[in-house]
Amino acid sequence: MGRVLNILDYALCSLRRKLLKNVSVFAIFTLVIFLFCSFQLVSRALTEAAEQLLTTAPDITIQQMSAGRQISIASSTKMELAGIFGIKKIKERIWGYYFDESNGANYTVIGMHAPFSDSPGDRLPGLSEGRLPAPGERGKVVVSDNIRNHLQLGSRKHFSLFRPDLTQAGFETIGLFDGKLEIVTADLILMTLADARDLFAIPDKFVTDLLVYVANPNEIETIARKISLKLPGSRVITRNQILKTYKVVFNWRSGLGTICLLTALAAFVILAWDKASGLSREEMKEVGILKILGWQTGDIIFLRFCESLTVSLLAFLTGYLLAWMHIVYFDGILFRPVFLGWSVVRPVFSLAPSFSIENLLLVFCLSVVPYLCATAVPAWRAATVRADSVI
Amino acid sequence: MRPSSGLLIFFMVFFLLAGVLARSLADKRNTQEENFHTLREVVLHLGLSDLALSTEARYTRHPAISDSVVVSMDHPGAIDHFPSTFFWAPVR
Repeated sequence: MGRVLNILDYALCSLRRKLLKNVSVFAIFTLVIFLFCSFQLVSRALTEAAEQLLTTAPDITIQQMSAGRQISIASSTKMELAGIFGIKKIKERIWGYYFDESNGANYTVIGMHAPFSDSPGDRLPGLSEGRLPAPGERGKVVVSDNIRNHLQLGSRKHFSLFRPDLTQAGFETIGLFDGKLEIVTADLILMTLADARDLFAIPDKFVTDLLVYVANPNEIETIARKISLKLPGSRVITRNQILKTYKVVFNWRSGLGTICLLTALAAFVILAWDKASGLSREEMKEVGILKILGWQTGDIIFLRFCESLTVSLLAFLTGYLLAWMHIVYFDGILFRPVFLGWSVVRPVFSLAPSFSIENLLLVFCLSVVPYLCATAVPAWRAATVRADSVI
Repeated sequence: MRPSSGLLIFFMVFFLLAGVLARSLADKRNTQEENFHTLREVVLHLGLSDLALSTEARYTRHPAISDSVVVSMDHPGAIDHFPSTFFWAPVR
């Protein structure tokens, strides 16, 4: 143990002698690990959020397709599904996008039959103020605070949107989604089915999709298959498929971001190899002196291993800790613009991924291990230098 | 002081900071879980199927229920041009 500590002390002194070079390697290595790990954590936080939130998504969503694109579906389709045993409820819904030319924002408009909620008094838990449109009410909407700001409503409640024929449809804001729910409601304008149909000029008795709720969750796939057979040309999406989509959407293996970061990591490893293999006259002299003093080849290899391990381990721990701080205290501020893209309406939400040992090992194996491997051969070459050839 | 003692101090500071961070993360996750409870209710009642993360295109706003063929959908050979889709894999 004493021998190991002595060699470690010598390695640390050796690192201090080449302070500028080692600090540069440490800083670059820390930065690469920080970026790679931050990306992993942001990605995992969003995947976990999707997995946890969409567990209450509709059991089955039915859309009508034509020429590979979605078109409106007739409300009467519900009647055709009446014979399928196990369906608890079918809801009609219109959803679409409204492009606001004044600011370039896309709003998501959702129209449903009131009452929207099954709870007493039609009270939705996610409203910070106001209420939901009542059955039969026209021109009343619920929006998010984000949309209210984009529409520059201020204290006003009334605003208008353009129909396809450029006539204006007037709306009154009667409710506001809670700001804490922006991860799903940031761009939502909720209105009644009749208002949505009027805004998008969708013919009567047509909707964009049907939401099917099934009594027994084990029968979802079977019922979905029966619906597909009954409605040719329709697209039937189950909740499992929605969840699966989000599992792969942020999959780290497939993202260009990961490829870029791995490329940076590979470039760094090549740099480490290059630096470590280019033995300077001073380093060769040092090895020669150590050998004359009685150091064995194994001791010198161990010394170089201690140096590499110290630099890479410190960089890994610092980078990993900084990445977590970036996520926990700053909500992934560096990667947020990339995930949100060129969106005008940007949701405000917090990121809190779970800690996983697999992720820690993954980052460790992709950073520290390649660095140690890249410096192993140069360390062996340095250790086998003959003392009499360099002194 | 031996140089290796400096290393020991680094590890002690690291574990101290990691402890503080773990505490903050636990608090944040508790708050998040409370919000998620409400969010699941909203998702249930409004029949939502997607997160409102990227609102720039229909296939980034609603990846689960928008057109399944999205890459090159604007014209043949077009590279997907929205930054957020760099992170997204094709769904199989």
